[in-house]
Amino acid sequence: MYEVFEHTADLGLRIRAATLDELFAEAGRALYSVLVSNPESIRPLKQLRVHLQTSDLEYLLLDWLNELLFLFDTQHLVFCQFQVHVEDGSLEAHLGGEPVDSQRHRLDHEVKAVTYHGLKVRRTTDGWLAEVILDI
Amino acid sequence: MTQGRFEGPLERVNDYLWRIPKSYKSGMRVDGLIFADERLIEHIRDDQAPEQVANVATLPGIQYASLAMPDIHWGYGFCIGGVCATDPEEGGVISPGGVGYDINCGVRLVRTRLRYEEVQPKLRQLIEALFREIPTGVGKTGKYHFDKQELRRLMSEGPRYLLKRGLATERDIEFTEAQGRLEGAEPASVSDRALDRGAEQCGTLGSGNHFLEVQVVDRIFDAQAAQILGLSEGQVCIMIHSGSRGLGYQVCDDALHMLRNIPEKYGIWLPDRQLACAPIHSPEGQKYLGAMRAAANFAWCNRQLLMWQAREVFQQIFGKPWDELGMHLVYDVAHNIAKLEEHTIDGRRKRVWVHRKGATRAFPPGHPEIPQAYRDIGQPVIIPGDMGRASWVLVGQAGAMEKSFGTTCHGAGRMMSRTAAIHEARGRRIDKELESQGIIARARSWKGLAEEQPAAYKDVDVVVDVVEKAGLSRKVARMRPIGVIKG
Repeated sequence: MYEVFEHTADLGLRIRAATLDELFAEAGRALYSVLVSNPESIRPLKQLRVHLQTSDLEYLLLDWLNELLFLFDTQHLVFCQFQVHVEDGSLEAHLGGEPVDSQRHRLDHEVKAVTYHGLKVRRTTDGWLAEVILDI
Repeated sequence: MTQGRFEGPLERVNDYLWRIPKSYKSGMRVDGLIFADERLIEHIRDDQAPEQVANVATLPGIQYASLAMPDIHWGYGFCIGGVCATDPEEGGVISPGGVGYDINCGVRLVRTRLRYEEVQPKLRQLIEALFREIPTGVGKTGKYHFDKQELRRLMSEGPRYLLKRGLATERDIEFTEAQGRLEGAEPASVSDRALDRGAEQCGTLGSGNHFLEVQVVDRIFDAQAAQILGLSEGQVCIMIHSGSRGLGYQVCDDALHMLRNIPEKYGIWLPDRQLACAPIHSPEGQKYLGAMRAAANFAWCNRQLLMWQAREVFQQIFGKPWDELGMHLVYDVAHNIAKLEEHTIDGRRKRVWVHRKGATRAFPPGHPEIPQAYRDIGQPVIIPGDMGRASWVLVGQAGAMEKSFGTTCHGAGRMMSRTAAIHEARGRRIDKELESQGIIARARSWKGLAEEQPAAYKDVDVVVDVVEKAGLSRKVARMRPIGVIKG
C-alpha cells in the first residue's frame, strides 16, 4: 500500500507493507505511479534482474528506487512486476516490464532523483513503513 | 514526514530582513537571515524552510550568515532560495545539496525585433510549432546526439564546443554567465551512468517547472538599462528555464553516494543527511567540484541548444533568418550552482565558495565578471514568475555585495504543493483559463498545467519588490507571458 504525500515543490511517497520484501516491491510500484499516470497499462514483456548491496536499509531503498529511475531514463523501461527479496543488506529483484510506448503509456512526472531528506524505513507494530521525497 | 509550521524565532531586523539567531539551535555557527516583507514572512512560516535555513548555518566554514531570498520554500536539505558561502581556509565545505540535483538550472532571455502585433496573429501556430519541435516532458529524447567522447568535450568546453558545430555564436557565448564555461571541469569525474542519462538529453526542456515562454515586454522601469539590454515595451522575447537534465541529476546523486560516510570521516555533524558535504580541501570535495563544473557546462549547452531550436522555429514561422529577426541572447544566468568568488567579509577580502540553491547571482555595476556592454548597469538577472502573471528582468546592485554575497531571488517561489494544486484545479481547464487571458499554453498533460498553475506560486511582483527595496537588485522590465510550452 502506498500514498503520495505533500511536499511544497516535490512529492513524497509513504509506503506500508507487512514484510520488508513487499515494502520494497511496493516502493517500486509507487515510483512508477508517479512516472506513469496509467501504470495498469504496463505489460510484463521483458524480464530483468537487479542486484544491489548496501549495509544500511534506508540507503538500500534509495539505491533501489534510483536504479529504477536510471533504467527508466536510459533504457526507457517501465515495470509492473516486482519480486523483491531483501536480506542482510542485499537486494535481489526480478522485474517484469516493457519499453515505454507513447501510444499506451501516459508519462506523467519527471523524477529528477530520490532524495535523502526525510528518508525513513521503520518497523511498525504490523509490518514496515517507508517514506521518501522525490525531487520533481 | 508531515509539513508543519515553523515555530522558531524570526526576529525583525528591518522591513525586509528577518533573523533566526544562532542561539536557536545547537550547532548553528552563524545566524540565519531571510529577506522578506511582512506579507511574505507569514507564508514563509507555513513550512519547514526556516528550519532548513538554520540547519545550513551548522555547515563548517560558513561565513556571515545562512541566507534565504524572499522566494524561499521548503526544499530537501537546503531550502529553495538558500545562499551560503564557505571559506576553504577555515575548514569550509562544499555541499552537493547546496547546489541541488539540477546543477546549473537557470534561465536565459532572448530578445527579438518582433512586436506583439506581428506575433499575435500567428501565436497559436508559433506555440504549436515550438511544442512540436522542442523536446519537452518526461522521457523525451533530443535531436542532438553526442557520444561519450563528444560529451566529455562538451562538458569541458561548454557552448564554445557548440560554436564549432555551428550551433552557437561568439555573441551567444559572450552573454552567458561565465561565458558558459566553469574552469576546472573534470569530465573524467562524471560517471558513465551520468553520461548515459545525459547522452540523449542535451537540448531537451524536461518537465516540472521548466518551460519555454514567449513573452511581451509589459513595462519598462529603468529606461537606460532597458535600452542597453535592447528591451522596449511591446517587444516579443523568449524565456527558457531548464538545467543539466539527467546528467546533472546523476552527478549530484553520485556525489551524495560518495559522501555517505564522509562527514563522519572529517568529524562533521549534520542535522540532515541531505546536507552531506566534504571539506573543499579534500579529495572528495575536489572530486565533486570537478564533476559539478562539468555538469554546469553541460547545462549551458542544453539552454544554448534549446535557444537554437527556438530560433529555427521562429525562422520557419516568420520566414526570415533568426539574426534578421533580431533574436539575440540578452543574458543567461544560473540559479543552482556553487562558485568560487571574492567577497568582503568583516572588512577582509576572501575567496569563498558561494552556494546558490534557487538564488541568482546579481553582481553590481562595474563588476569585472559582467560583459563589457552591460558593465555600467549591473549584471542582468532573469526572474521567471508563473505562466499567468509575469516574469522580470532586474540588474544587480551594490547592496547585493554587502548583504547577500552578490545574490538575489530566482523566481516567484512555490506556495502550494503539487497535490494541493491538483486538488485546486479539479474540474477546471487551466489552458482555457489562460487562453481567456490571451496566453496559449501547451503541456504534455492536464496535470502538468494543473501543478504549475499561477495560483501555485507566490506573486512574483511582491518577491521582486522585496529584493529591490532590500537593495539587492533593481527592476528593469516586467514581462508578461503570451505563449508557454511545458513538459
